[in-house]
Amino acid sequence: MDNLMSPYSNLSMGTTTPLHHPDEDLANFQHQQQNNVYLPKQMNFAPPHAPPPPLMMAQPQTPQSHFIPMTPQQQPASVSEIPSSIPKVNTPAIDASPMFMNPMTPLDSSILPQLQNIVSTVNLNCKLDLKKIALHARNAEYNPKRFAAVIMRIREPRTTALIFSSGKMVCTGAKSEDDSRLAARKYARIIQKLGFNAKFLDFKIQNMVGSCDVKFPIRLEGLVLTHSKFSSYEPELFPGLIYRMVKPRIVLLIFVSGKVVLTGAKVRQEIYDAFDNIFPILKSFKKS
Amino acid sequence: MSYQLYRNTTIGNTLQESLDELISYGQITPQLALRVLIQFDKSINSALSNKVKSRITFKASKLNTYRFCDNVWTLMLNDVEFREVHEFAKVDKIKIVACDGKSTYNNDTEKNN
Repeated sequence: MDNLMSPYSNLSMGTTTPLHHPDEDLANFQHQQQNNVYLPKQMNFAPPHAPPPPLMMAQPQTPQSHFIPMTPQQQPASVSEIPSSIPKVNTPAIDASPMFMNPMTPLDSSILPQLQNIVSTVNLNCKLDLKKIALHARNAEYNPKRFAAVIMRIREPRTTALIFSSGKMVCTGAKSEDDSRLAARKYARIIQKLGFNAKFLDFKIQNMVGSCDVKFPIRLEGLVLTHSKFSSYEPELFPGLIYRMVKPRIVLLIFVSGKVVLTGAKVRQEIYDAFDNIFPILKSFKKS
Repeated sequence: MSYQLYRNTTIGNTLQESLDELISYGQITPQLALRVLIQFDKSINSALSNKVKSRITFKASKLNTYRFCDNVWTLMLNDVEFREVHEFAKVDKIKIVACDGKSTYNNDTEKNN
């Protein structure tokens, strides 16, 4: 049981903010969309392990036709990129695609997990009068009967901070490492402006959460049987399969729908590596 | 003790002026006036929650700032529309101060353009 519970608690630490605001959901949603818009760009420029038009190659069956119906939903921006990239691939695609379809190439992970949440901590290195902070700062909540920290939010980068009287601070909700650091600095600045001698020591990213969609259904019952050492699947308790990867040390929640949540990373690459490892396994348990 | 939020309303101010007048004529003691005001704090709350039937709805386009401290919510809203059945009012800014209505405390919203 203990075994089972920890991924949840880990996840909820990672994905939700205390005293969740209803409109934040909307905002997160928008944020996510932005992120998706960003994805195709990144795909075309960056990834060391994925050649230019990897999105369509990821679909083993009929590359182009699949590409179009799928993307509008999740990646509005990529629609505009289709015209430019399709002609290039169009004719040679029939010959080229078998080469790309080799399941062992890293191309499989041309589905790049998107970071959804980053939790970081920093030490402001000075004792704080939380009541003073709550009374003078904006967007602060302080209810010492329920929780011994000030909960503060800022809009850009949209994050939530827990500020403790010891001077330690937790910053959650950022979508990138830089945003998390920037947000933490902004909170530290707010505290400074209230007259505290706040420093910015030992900033550390504690957890990163990513997610992605492999876009095919998965037989979790089969997966749990063959990977019983790493996975637990108790549909009566939780609908997802919990996969504790050892290297990198990442916990994955895998859902029948093909959606995957990856958590427990200290650096971005661990998320990517974990997904690269799991993707061939997921493909072999594709529901037919 | 109840919150004293309603003392600064028309009815609260009028009551305080009357009490001041009675004190200045020597007809009541300041202690008695204070007791009346404390009773007023309680009564206005029960009257507002039990006797007032009219309802008003409001909707803001943006929650600009919020604060929760000492069991009091302070909300700053932008572009707020108030609606009663027929009446309609719109303001650019509003500050809402809301206290816990249950327990010993009572609840209030205060308008302030």
